[in-house]
Amino acid sequence: MLMRIIRPFSCLPLVLLVLAGTHAQESPQSALVDAGNDFIQEIISHNGLPGTLAVSFDNLSSLSTTDQQLVKSVILGRLRGSGMHVVKAESAAAEVLITLSEDWQGYVWVANVKQNGGSRLVIKRIARVQKTAALRTPTVTLQKLFSWNQDSPMLDFVLDGQTFLVLEPEQVVVYVNNSGHWKATEMLGISHELAWPRDLQGRLQVRSRQITVFLPGTQCTGAVSPAQLQCRASDDPWQLDAGPLASAFFSPARNFFTGVLAGQNAGISVPSFFSAAVWQSGDTKQWLFAGNDGRMRLYQNSLSSPAATFNDWGSDVAAAHSSCGSGWQVIASSGTTNSLQAIEIVNRDAVPVSSALELSGTVRALWPSGSNGQVHGITESATGKYEAFALSVSCNQ
Amino acid sequence: MRRSLLALVVISSLVLAAVPSLASSRPRYGGTVRVLLRHKITSLDPLQESDDPASRDRVASLIYETLTAIDAQGRTRPRLATSWQADSARRVWQFNLRAANFHDGSPVTAAPVAASLKSANPEWKVIATGKQQITIETPYPVPHLPELLALVRFSIIKRSGALVGSGPYTLTDWQPGERALLTAYEDYWGGRPFPDSIEFRMGLSLREHLMERNLGSDHAVELGVDQLRGLEQAQTNQTLLVSRPADLVVLLFLQPNADVAARPTRKPIDPRVREALANSMNRAAISNVLLQKKGAPAGGLLPQWLTGYEFLFPGKQDMDRARKLRTDAGNVTAITLAYDASDPVMKTIAERIAVDARESSIPVQPLGDLHVNTKSGRAALNADAVLLRLPLRSLDPTAALASLADDLALASDTVSAIQRSARSEELAEVERKTLADYRIIPVVHLSQVVWTNGNVHNWQQLPNGNWDLDQLWVEGTK
Repeated sequence: MLMRIIRPFSCLPLVLLVLAGTHAQESPQSALVDAGNDFIQEIISHNGLPGTLAVSFDNLSSLSTTDQQLVKSVILGRLRGSGMHVVKAESAAAEVLITLSEDWQGYVWVANVKQNGGSRLVIKRIARVQKTAALRTPTVTLQKLFSWNQDSPMLDFVLDGQTFLVLEPEQVVVYVNNSGHWKATEMLGISHELAWPRDLQGRLQVRSRQITVFLPGTQCTGAVSPAQLQCRASDDPWQLDAGPLASAFFSPARNFFTGVLAGQNAGISVPSFFSAAVWQSGDTKQWLFAGNDGRMRLYQNSLSSPAATFNDWGSDVAAAHSSCGSGWQVIASSGTTNSLQAIEIVNRDAVPVSSALELSGTVRALWPSGSNGQVHGITESATGKYEAFALSVSCNQ
Repeated sequence: MRRSLLALVVISSLVLAAVPSLASSRPRYGGTVRVLLRHKITSLDPLQESDDPASRDRVASLIYETLTAIDAQGRTRPRLATSWQADSARRVWQFNLRAANFHDGSPVTAAPVAASLKSANPEWKVIATGKQQITIETPYPVPHLPELLALVRFSIIKRSGALVGSGPYTLTDWQPGERALLTAYEDYWGGRPFPDSIEFRMGLSLREHLMERNLGSDHAVELGVDQLRGLEQAQTNQTLLVSRPADLVVLLFLQPNADVAARPTRKPIDPRVREALANSMNRAAISNVLLQKKGAPAGGLLPQWLTGYEFLFPGKQDMDRARKLRTDAGNVTAITLAYDASDPVMKTIAERIAVDARESSIPVQPLGDLHVNTKSGRAALNADAVLLRLPLRSLDPTAALASLADDLALASDTVSAIQRSARSEELAEVERKTLADYRIIPVVHLSQVVWTNGNVHNWQQLPNGNWDLDQLWVEGTK
């Protein structure tokens, strides 16, 4: 797991601790040096290899010329350091043809050792070391505050002071801050009778150290300390916003809200939806529902009929509160790219107020974070890796 | 202020309206996905021979499940097995099974799983060691057993008259060679699939294919690389998925040795002529010109992109050597080369091989036949050699080579050498030995192609051309 703080998170004292927990990533060059040393070790460990060798190289890989030279010098240096004499073919007792090749996943280095009329292969596979891409800093207002990466699916998370909780399909993992590293201390299992639906959605809430987990057809309650979690079949409504404005029923066997609202709007139905942004701006109460028919419906003050309908948005929206503009922005996923954008509703129009914030994968969840006005979400990359992130909206100068 | 706000509104409309589709939308439940397959599938049993095993396996893998799976990154993943472990010799393996049900409602327990695996490989000793645990004992170490078990032929099937699986779809209508209707299995352990059903139609003519693709309501169409021309220009609302060059087009001599008595009407071909034929082939021209770069020259059985070592088996044309070998061989009678008459690509390649061979004075006579792809069909062929197109069934090199060995009916010691291989060096050595006598001559690796329209989402084509339809969904449904 890799954890990384992208920007200073002023309201959390954990910034430096978390940053200290970042795993140092090996540079591409040092990985090639290590691989070269291991490769030669495998070649020379074979009994009967003579002391005079002719070595030739061929490149079939996408290694840069600089990296090829580096690998060659490591290999030749290591051979000489091991007491081998690298000579011309006519005076060598054995010939080593080294091919720097690659497959779809990484580099493949092949040594064909020819000696006494026979030949022997040594093949070494080396993972491609990715050059860390610099994260694109939002140019306008969306700021990524926090990032947590893991290989297994995440549905939601809560950063609660010195505790970090991650909702996974089968458990809630509790991490505590241990000298700058997040250390998993508890894994609270989630029991459920029926198989989870595809594109599983879930919501994790922690208030006063009490845990509530919403999953399709299931609700779990428990505590952070002492850690415990009990689950039961339930169709209780899920909270849609950070406050008490809205809640709605989630389909027990699907990936969307049924459209039946609860709480203050109990008994009212809207078309079924994937996600919603709910906020109150002055006297105007506003709802934006990302319908699972692909339409985004805006309701203002009344839920009887939409004030406006927008097409071609993504499926995820959440409301963020800030000191900028009208004070409320809708964070919306794109319908075509893996990105988020801040949008303000001006009268009945949707006006983008930030540039797109590119993400590492498809948005799987987007929720308001709590009273701080921020939003947080989960993405899944094309390679099946998950990222949990938190965002805030800051004003342009 | 008012003007600038208006301008911003206009810009916003453009930004939002420019978004053409719901590519990043959440998946939607419902609908029927309609798929056209190129060839006719007459049986969905993975243990039966098929004229088009790749298409058969694609459909079968939606109905029947394996213990393990290889994902798009080549990683071995749990499927019906949740975990596994082996002894230090890698000969005795224990697999723990997840709680799942067959389509007839009965639980997937160790007994039917053991019976199914015994059918797939009688050499294995498969024992139910618990209600949800089996042990597989192999005659020799098999370090890559979990990867082998991801092959469709090791699907867990209850064979009680009808074949019963436990996969995400049930077979609700089956008209061999014409139509298969698969319906979402509501109790699937991995969650009910998004579509209500998938309908496969098979064996339509090229003309019908074109009509359906342009005017019909089909969501996905399996294509040959010969059908790509004209489609590759960017067209809105459709996607063309082209795999890496994966299928192996290979020339197989049917009676290589004098001591093979099974084909009395045919004389074995002189090994020098076989080598000369291999040297005469212009694989680069076949890949770049005939196949319009949707293929790659094949020197080995497994493609370079999968292993990184195919370059060890050079497949370059060497006419000087071909002519010398041909001269050394003396008198040569015409070689009859059979190919799949239903596949225009194979006909073109066979004809090109004949042209190249003629340059080195080796007479090759192409012969179209409809049953070259099955072992039984080949046994009845009156030909010296056959041109085969064999699917790359796995992204794991060991499993892929084991599968090719089965397709090529290689000797049991070769099969065991593949299965015993723990390292790339060993696998490369098996390939080298297999190709050494030129009984098997790799020609090209060929891409697989599928066309999907804009309403289809998450149709994942793996690098080897297999389909991962686990997260498939379609628009236009509610």
